Amino acid sequence: MNIQDYIASGKLELFLLGELTEREREEVLALAKAHPEIQQELDALEEAMFSFDKKTGVAPSANVKERIFASLEADFQMTGTPPSPAPVTSTSVKLSPWKSFAIAASVVAILASASAIYFAGKFYDTEEKFTALLQDQQVMADNLNQVKQEFEETDSRLDRLISGDFRKVEMLGETLAMQKDAKVDVFWDQKAQEVFVAVNNLNSLSAEYDYQLWAIGKDGPVGIGLVNPGEKFTLQQMEAVAEAGAFAITIEPKGGSKSPTLEKLVVLGEVA
Amino acid sequence: MQEDELIAGLRGKDRKTTEYLYEKYSRALFAVISRIVSDSDIAEEVFHDAFIKIIRKIDSYDESKGRLYTWMSNICRNAAIDKLRSKEISQSTKTNTIDDFVYGLESQSGTMETIEAIGVKELMDNLSEDQRFIIEYIYFKGYTHSEISEEFDIPLGTVKSRVRAALQVLKKNLDRI
Repeated sequence: MNIQDYIASGKLELFLLGELTEREREEVLALAKAHPEIQQELDALEEAMFSFDKKTGVAPSANVKERIFASLEADFQMTGTPPSPAPVTSTSVKLSPWKSFAIAASVVAILASASAIYFAGKFYDTEEKFTALLQDQQVMADNLNQVKQEFEETDSRLDRLISGDFRKVEMLGETLAMQKDAKVDVFWDQKAQEVFVAVNNLNSLSAEYDYQLWAIGKDGPVGIGLVNPGEKFTLQQMEAVAEAGAFAITIEPKGGSKSPTLEKLVVLGEVA
Repeated sequence: MQEDELIAGLRGKDRKTTEYLYEKYSRALFAVISRIVSDSDIAEEVFHDAFIKIIRKIDSYDESKGRLYTWMSNICRNAAIDKLRSKEISQSTKTNTIDDFVYGLESQSGTMETIEAIGVKELMDNLSEDQRFIIEYIYFKGYTHSEISEEFDIPLGTVKSRVRAALQVLKKNLDRI
């Protein structure tokens, strides 16, 4: 290898600027050891860089020097004492608590973050469950109200039924062509002019039709209300009637008719 | 003081040796930093930290891997480049040029600094345009030679030989200032 070419390559300058890779540095150092010309050039270049830096620069302010030496105060050996590992220990003593505090702080921070995330997750879960429970409770309260209302209605009907002077009129379909097994009871308090029906058995109708209850008296049949075939074994209150010899139910167009369609008579019962 | 005595004194944590080191090298090392970091307060802060690092890390300095000044100036140069590329400085200051540095020096108070700055200007005038460009980017803008090669599309070998040529010119003319 030509030494002059190597020197001229610019590698030595980059070595001094600290820009070579570890492998290249080793190469420069090995060659400098083997070839005094390279070592000389390296030294001359370093000297030139130093004097360039020194001559082109200004001194840092006195204040910086003071601060530097104040920072280094603890590092210096006391005069006269031989070099001992003491300052090294002091340095490490200075550093290690800082390091362990930093580690401890990091660990605490990580734990805190993790538990914050964990509890935030818990909180949202709980909040969701709580909302669901509130909704359930609302539904139950609504149901309860409805049941209560129904109970009160039933209870008051029962009261009236017990306290009143009701007659039971059975209306049957046996003798009639339509719905032979149909059975509806009428409870009638003639004095109080109150009428209830209780559906025992009645087929359901399509949406265009209704069952209509008739009170048949001296003046002919009078429509006293529509009967819901779905509400079985409950009392359905009808309009007041004071006089009737018989009760009957016919199928009428939706909403009921003024006079009964007799061909569609479902059940009939005479007042005993 | 010989370099080996100096190093032994530093390893012994001797205050006098440390003061000697400071007197001998602080100006040059500070120049390495302040060429790259133009804000003088920040440059002093970087120098403060770098000098303390030098003293405390002296045990990791290996004489067989290069001379003391090379090691110290590399620490300073790297600290300055790190600072230059940190968020804190890149937002507040523009990058340096030789002219900023030269005129910046000229405007400093003190006759000696002015005389020296004029010397630097003359020194720079000896460089060809290519050489001046290389010195500006390496010394004043903190670029590495491979960054110059990449950013300005100059072959690596060319960058190296220009660094070499520029430093040769500076070396020859240094005695005149």
